[in-house]
Amino acid sequence: MRFNARLFVLLTVFYALAAVGYGLTSYYLPGTDNTGNVIAPENRHVEIIGTAAIGMLVFMSAFIAFYLNKTHKTQGPVPEDRLDATIEEGEAEIGFFNAFSWWPFWLGLFAAVAFASLAVGWWLFCIGLPFALIAVFGFVFENHRRDYAH
Amino acid sequence: MPQKRGLKWALAPAAISLVLALSGCSAEDPTAGALPGDSLNATNHTQEITVLWNWSWIVLFAVGIIAWGLMAWALIAYRRRKGDNTLPPQLRYNNPIETLFTIVPLILVIGFFAFTAKTMDHIETGPANSDLTIQAIGKQWSWDFNYTDEDVYDSGIQAQNGTEEGIPTLYLPVNKTVEIDLQSRDVIHSFWVVDFLYKKDVFPGRWNKIYFTPTKIGVFEGKCAELCGEFHSAMLFNVAVLSEADYKLQIEKLRAAGQTGQLPIENSRNGNLPGDNPNVRG
Amino acid sequence: MATATLTAPSTGAVRKDKGRLVVDWLTTTDHKKIGYLYLITSIVYFMIAGVMALVIRAQLAAPNLSIVPTKEQYNQLFTMHGTIMLLMFATPLFAAFANILMPVQIGAPDVAFPRLNAVAYWFYFFGSFVAVAGFFTPQGAASFGWFAYAPLSNTTFSPGLGGDLWVFGLALSGFGTIMGGVNFITTILTMRAPGMTMFRLPIFTWNTLVTSILVIMCFPPLAAALFALGADRRFDAHIFDPANGGPMLWQHLFWFFGHPEVYILALPFFGIVSEIFPVFSRKPIFGYKTLIYATIAIAALSMTVWAHHMYVTGSVLLPFFAFTTMLIAVPTGVKVFNWIGTMWRGSITFETPMLFSLGFLTTFIFGGLTGVILSSPTLDFHLSDSYFVVAHFHYVVFGTVVFAMFAGIYFWYPKMTGKLLNERLGKIHFWLLFIGFHTTFLVQHWLGVAGMPRRYATYLVSDNFDLGNQISTLGAAILGLSMLPFLWNVYWTHRKGVRTTLNDPWGFGRSLEWATGSPFPRHNFTSIPRIRSESPAFDLNHPEFAAPEAKADAKKKG
Repeated sequence: MRFNARLFVLLTVFYALAAVGYGLTSYYLPGTDNTGNVIAPENRHVEIIGTAAIGMLVFMSAFIAFYLNKTHKTQGPVPEDRLDATIEEGEAEIGFFNAFSWWPFWLGLFAAVAFASLAVGWWLFCIGLPFALIAVFGFVFENHRRDYAH
Repeated sequence: MPQKRGLKWALAPAAISLVLALSGCSAEDPTAGALPGDSLNATNHTQEITVLWNWSWIVLFAVGIIAWGLMAWALIAYRRRKGDNTLPPQLRYNNPIETLFTIVPLILVIGFFAFTAKTMDHIETGPANSDLTIQAIGKQWSWDFNYTDEDVYDSGIQAQNGTEEGIPTLYLPVNKTVEIDLQSRDVIHSFWVVDFLYKKDVFPGRWNKIYFTPTKIGVFEGKCAELCGEFHSAMLFNVAVLSEADYKLQIEKLRAAGQTGQLPIENSRNGNLPGDNPNVRG
Repeated sequence: MATATLTAPSTGAVRKDKGRLVVDWLTTTDHKKIGYLYLITSIVYFMIAGVMALVIRAQLAAPNLSIVPTKEQYNQLFTMHGTIMLLMFATPLFAAFANILMPVQIGAPDVAFPRLNAVAYWFYFFGSFVAVAGFFTPQGAASFGWFAYAPLSNTTFSPGLGGDLWVFGLALSGFGTIMGGVNFITTILTMRAPGMTMFRLPIFTWNTLVTSILVIMCFPPLAAALFALGADRRFDAHIFDPANGGPMLWQHLFWFFGHPEVYILALPFFGIVSEIFPVFSRKPIFGYKTLIYATIAIAALSMTVWAHHMYVTGSVLLPFFAFTTMLIAVPTGVKVFNWIGTMWRGSITFETPMLFSLGFLTTFIFGGLTGVILSSPTLDFHLSDSYFVVAHFHYVVFGTVVFAMFAGIYFWYPKMTGKLLNERLGKIHFWLLFIGFHTTFLVQHWLGVAGMPRRYATYLVSDNFDLGNQISTLGAAILGLSMLPFLWNVYWTHRKGVRTTLNDPWGFGRSLEWATGSPFPRHNFTSIPRIRSESPAFDLNHPEFAAPEAKADAKKKG
């Protein structure tokens, strides 16, 4: 896990450099704009779209790096990160996995109706939205209801 | 055994590919390196583009031959012989070699960038004042040419009936610096003169500018190179580079035909620019 | 020596009635079944878009043909061909292979979020259907090119339900891809077996991780851009208006997605061939660590090169993007030499998976070279939007995705079904595909250089493009035909193929999937061997040639 946090730190640093580099070069490098006129120093500007996009990547990578770091600190060393671990050391129970579920299918179907209705018209959206909402709630609460209730 | 047959079978497609490769070179002037033959010395930029193209391919093919060659050698020399049940040494890495094939491409890339940056700068930067300024306005699905210095215009329609019928011709005088201002009346188009080895996209709402000097008399094909709707493939034009006298003749012909004035960019489908009319929502 | 283990028949062999079978597949949360669903659906879309390509090539076989009745329909054909191939065939194919293989390769019983996995598939399935449903509307499907440049893609210039369905269908499908990416990253980070450290992961799993990171970085901007375009089209927004610099905004947003997308398409398939070369050269992958660093470098850099698709707009910082684009060639070259190094001094045999992998390598090298040419704005000014670009991307994308797809299918078929595909049919399939592909696309480089623009429904007699296009169309026919031996092979193997009982039918498998039954047991493993290198199954089956760490461990055990 420590390596994974480091990987995202590496990406954060790289994108930070790239964002700064792109911002600076887009500001200072162009001598002329696309109409061929020489850009006066007071008219220089940063290419905002690209800079913002790469900048977003900095935040995203930093966010994930932070989370992975926290997890690693809480978890401590785990068998899968040890070079000399044996299979027996693996947790007997990894988690709970549903053997099957109807909800993904219904969620997919009704989400598609809801999305398509944005193209088709309000009438379909009004029909599709309730079904889509039922599917979302059903999917989210599946493991807290009925057979799986606790 | 499959491996020997496999190698013989490799000869056939390799031969076909070679034939295809060579056939493309036959019709063109070899110094153009498979670029359109008419592009030789067509403008003041085509020479350096062609030189960069030729050298790039030489270096790239060298790299390719090394890669394909090593691959072919490995397949031949290290194929499993019949009855061989042993395992080769389980080599996992070799730092000197890996460093080599990281550093060498890096050097090649830096060199390529240096040459590209130089030529790119020459092509995109124009002189402070060009001899001639022309507006080429793209529209679905043809071009309007405004000769701003002579105050005449020309226009055309898309190619008719599978021929060049109806398409406009842009007239340019040879050996004079030209600036072409590009904009679109509707969607994005692209102004591509094939033999000038150059294109620039044409946008609604802003001007793009290109600078060059035509250095060869002739008629050159132009095509729209950005998908712009149903008749994108018919949005053709010609560029006729003429002597000074012939150029003046063509301009007078346009004047005589009553095509004086300019076709303003304001007459566009993408109106509603900010400040136009506050009562119109847009 | 391969260990022959008699595996119990998987539960699927129990006779089920058809209804239960359908319910089983509709409600599955098993990563393998979901992977098979992805695989089958994406291959069906491949065939559909392939037929569109055949129609396109028929239309272009000679000047001024009207095989496609209107140019508007032709525009729909290439728009949907591109959309389907990239977003409904190749991207879901990544999800297919990742789903089928990755959990087994890391020694996990399933992915971290199995129901979310299924949701991702059904979002893809239904979302893609919505996008393609445009063909069933009177005005036809979207026809503005798969890049959907503004303002061509707004309602002024492309009215009609087809375009709207395209926008919203892809938005939904994209959400599915994002969920898949999240799932794969979580699984790889948290569900590895003990001893399976990050630097013992098989290359395919590494590439799945890096690809998934790319997915979560680049698909959200696509979703945002699509919703913005949908708002423009349906709710009278003015986001991409020319007056607001809309066309450039769309291009930046789209290509910020579009370029990493092609690495999403390439990296998993690089991973597949990285699994196959070692097995059929009987040597480990050469330069494991540098391969991983190169992959990470490619992914990181790929987010900073997008505007090389926009050189001719006149509004992008040419030096920055030219430099980063040329830089990407370096780690890509490293990978190519690592693959060659894997085969070097190996003991190579030419079974079908190896043939397809070699076909990939040959093709990809050339596609990479033309990519370097295109990275230079000086040369790209002439070549952009011409058939040279079409040839380039078919070489890299088809060369990578399709060749490696078939390599992976032949390679892992016994793991998926318990049977090996017929070798002779496989070789016929390979050679027809190889010859057909190169005949179709090699000549297109010349067509592009000579001045044939892309997305042209036809061309003039005076253009002299006839011969090139005829050769290309002939190649397309051969390419289309090459699918038939493959389909016949699948059918014949299903009916008459012999079941293998071996865990490792190829004999020299390296990663964990070759240490479990063929086909996979329901929960992937009944027992997992000790993991001391990136080749645990190989260390188990060939202890004399095991990795140094594995040998040391065996010695310690006594």
